[in-house]
Amino acid sequence: MKDELCYELYGEYISLKELGMSVFISTAFAMLFFFVAPAVSAVLGVQSAGISITLGALGATVGFTISVLVSKVKRVVVEV
Amino acid sequence: MDPLSLLLTLALSAISTLLYIFIGILPGTDETATMAPIALTLLLAGLDPLLVLVWFIASIAAFKMADSIPVALAGIPGGVMAVPQVPDALVAKERGLADTILRKGIAASIVGQVVALAVTLSISYYLMPAGEWLRTADVVLGVKVARWFWLVLAGLAVLALTSRSRYVALISIPSFALLIQGLRGVYGRPIFVSFFLGITIGPMIFELLSMLHKDLRQAYVRRGMKEVRLVKIGKISLNPLKILSRDELLHCSTWSAVTSVLATVMSPVGLTILIGDLLRESSKDKTRGAVLAYTVRDAIKNATYIGGTLIPLLVIGEPTGPMAAGPAAPFFQKLDSIGMTPRDYILSRYDYATIVLMILLATAVSFSIAYPILVKYSRKLTLAVFKRVPAEALYGLFIAIVIMLSYYDAKIAGIFGTLVVSLVSGALWKLGVSLGVLFMTLVAAPTLVSLLTALPL
Repeated sequence: MKDELCYELYGEYISLKELGMSVFISTAFAMLFFFVAPAVSAVLGVQSAGISITLGALGATVGFTISVLVSKVKRVVVEV
Repeated sequence: MDPLSLLLTLALSAISTLLYIFIGILPGTDETATMAPIALTLLLAGLDPLLVLVWFIASIAAFKMADSIPVALAGIPGGVMAVPQVPDALVAKERGLADTILRKGIAASIVGQVVALAVTLSISYYLMPAGEWLRTADVVLGVKVARWFWLVLAGLAVLALTSRSRYVALISIPSFALLIQGLRGVYGRPIFVSFFLGITIGPMIFELLSMLHKDLRQAYVRRGMKEVRLVKIGKISLNPLKILSRDELLHCSTWSAVTSVLATVMSPVGLTILIGDLLRESSKDKTRGAVLAYTVRDAIKNATYIGGTLIPLLVIGEPTGPMAAGPAAPFFQKLDSIGMTPRDYILSRYDYATIVLMILLATAVSFSIAYPILVKYSRKLTLAVFKRVPAEALYGLFIAIVIMLSYYDAKIAGIFGTLVVSLVSGALWKLGVSLGVLFMTLVAAPTLVSLLTALPL
């Protein structure tokens, strides 16, 4: 980890591979939930647009949770 | 207000507060990128716009209180608005005053928001009749131009002239407006969300794509882990009135009142820099000046966000400043589900007293949760976030939400439209153009392009 190649974005060190994975995972879950939404709204009998966005955001959050587990933190905290 | 609305107000304020404490502490979280998409999502999901406003006000209270915590503890800003506080914090930390600025910043946020609410809600009440006059259209060069447009144009000019690169900012206004209207012409309808999100994530996309370029990549390369030095803090009193001196309280109150009104057309970050630097430079004692500047900047952050949202929302009805055209923009865009803008929905469905009550309730709930949490657990929270949450996961979440909302807005073309706008926005930002200029150009684009094409030249 010590010599791992990273890039600095907004003051944070990131790995492009892990960022790519995180974007892919969160987007995949967001769009999956988004496209499933009309079927869910038909069952619930509510407006599809609102449910699509809500479920899409929920999917992105699921993706975020998985990404937290698959990406490594690149900060070392020194307590002074 | 019925019991269900009251319950929802309390619940949404609490959830928003907890979420934005977390987002505020995370380094590098841009306000527009984190506040607007979530507010937009809630609006599109069909939540009552007044409840979304409640969510938004609570998020301002928590976010602007929390984003200076990592500045005080580690010299790392939790959001764009906290960046001007870094030099003050470094001076204070050198003198062992990290816990002093931490507690003063938290208390100043409360003062800033409370003063701004008192000022803007009173001013808005008396100025509301002027809103009708501002929305009236005059014919200029054969084009119908609403009077508020001139206010936007004046704000745009001020913002452009105070940008790091004023000439590029000035010439980018008509060019960017043409890009927006050109893309709208291709789509065949007045798309907003894709373009708005494109500007929001522009700097991030531009930096990311630069990293894929063989030569440009070298500037971003780092090895190993980023070292973050976290200072220890002592016990902090829970009584906010014991934390600020009389002088600091006076400065925080005065400048919060002034900047909350100025933020109607001026940039919140610009005002935070301007007033803070003035106070720091006017003090003969470097340490005292740094602590005062840090404290007042924290108050101004909350005040400008409140004023920049509420005056355009309650009085003008159009996003006349960078705050209203940026983080608060979702309230000014027409939603198909309600057939009007959330702003119009709120003002047509609720009386002024109910709106004020909900806003005050959201603020009270947010501060009563955020204040004790941040005073007691700020260090533990910062440590946990720094040690457990990778930056990649957070950036991935925001990019995913942007892709989803762009698709919702204009299908696959919407995603590529967002990419084009984000690349141009990122390039202009890199050249020193404030993103506020681009947000406001997006609002002014239809009238601006109509006037440009009607010019007899």
